[in-house]
Amino acid sequence: MGGTPFGKALGGNGRDRARRGQGQLEAQVLAALHHAPGPATAAWVQERLGDDLAYTTVMTILSRLHAKGAVTRERSGRAYLWTPAADEAGLAALRMRRVLDGEPDRDAVLTSFVSALSAHDEEVLRSLLARAEDDGRAPGPAPGPGRAGRSDEARGG
Amino acid sequence: MGVFVFLPLVLPLTALPIARLAEQHLHPRVTTRLLTLLAVVLGVCSTLCLGLLVVVGTAQLPGNPLPDGWSDPEVRAAVPFAEVAGIAAIFALAAALTVCGAALRRDLRIRLRAHRALDVLPVGTDPAVLPDDDPYAYAVPGTPARPGRPARAGRIAVSRGMLRSLDEDERCALFAHERAHLNCRHHRYLLAVRLAGCVNPLLLPLRSAVAFSAERWADEEAARAVGDRRLTARAVGKAALISRPAPYPVAVQFAAPEPGPVPRRVAALLGPVPSARTWPPALTPAGLAALVAAAGTAASALSALNASVALFLVLKAATPW
Repeated sequence: MGGTPFGKALGGNGRDRARRGQGQLEAQVLAALHHAPGPATAAWVQERLGDDLAYTTVMTILSRLHAKGAVTRERSGRAYLWTPAADEAGLAALRMRRVLDGEPDRDAVLTSFVSALSAHDEEVLRSLLARAEDDGRAPGPAPGPGRAGRSDEARGG
Repeated sequence: MGVFVFLPLVLPLTALPIARLAEQHLHPRVTTRLLTLLAVVLGVCSTLCLGLLVVVGTAQLPGNPLPDGWSDPEVRAAVPFAEVAGIAAIFALAAALTVCGAALRRDLRIRLRAHRALDVLPVGTDPAVLPDDDPYAYAVPGTPARPGRPARAGRIAVSRGMLRSLDEDERCALFAHERAHLNCRHHRYLLAVRLAGCVNPLLLPLRSAVAFSAERWADEEAARAVGDRRLTARAVGKAALISRPAPYPVAVQFAAPEPGPVPRRVAALLGPVPSARTWPPALTPAGLAALVAAAGTAASALSALNASVALFLVLKAATPW
């Protein structure tokens, strides 16, 4: 039970925990999730909080947080993996990510700025842009076309 | 009605040449509208004729609810190969409607999911900048009002990864592009051609042509808004280069492949402003292709009308009351 900084910091011993309100538990669970190296299972959260929290209690709190949109979850096998939604923008990004990853046909509905390039396209595109730079840029400093082209090529190869 | 009932099923082929050529000769706005109009008319006519065949086919099925007179030899004589065509049409129409329904549902679902994802951000936040390292930028079309749910305006979602790679001017071009998608209601054209492709697979090439011309249209609007075609071209090019997914196995290519949509867009932006003419010059391949498409669409509409009236008269004569 030694390695449970959140339990210690926030709660003291187990008897105190029983009296603690739901809000405090939610904050604790969220804090634990924020310290997780990545998406965490409810079992991980339970272990991290230690003491005498029942698994079902952790699940209940996580579900409540999920309903509030404060955490996101994804199914992994039979369990869920939970991730804290950092803030509003982060939460929106996470949700958008799920739409983009989950809908292979999304480009038909959400018009994307650019579509994927094939290797050949990339070559054509680079030469087009390089030519445009050459044509358009008056002789001067700034990120010169030659330098930009080389660094791009280095990255591409 | 004779073979006329079958014509609209194959006449979409006449729209394919213009789908290929319009891009080079017409303003993308005109191309988008023209091709969408062709696709919708041809798709509706094709579905109508499929429906007529289904009526004839259903009337032959034992235990159907249609009047008995509708399976008379006179009715069957009105349609060549009535037995086979009628039954095949039942399956074809069922498949077409199923696919259409699925496409519509998916469209609405993706829109709603995207809106729900962005809902946590205040409504005024447009464009919505999402802290995501993956570079992407999407125009999320608005959703119509439904009972219990207000209408939602279209929104723009851009990832921080995308913004980071563009400079201030290029970002303006990006936003102008996405805003043009929303303002010009490109999603309606795209949905219309997608549904047309669902009811008649021969119309599928129009779908990619319209998807491309809508992008070009938004590019042109963006170039006009920022007042610099070269800048817009650079924004598109840079965004595409950073969005390139991990190399995937490319199919063996025997000849130099045609450049994909992004290089074509950049090349068009680096070229001159497209002319605003609404019809390609007559004696060019594009002009002929446009004529062929117009003639095909007119023939399709007339055939569908002819077949509908003919079947209506035949069925009326065959109905006992």
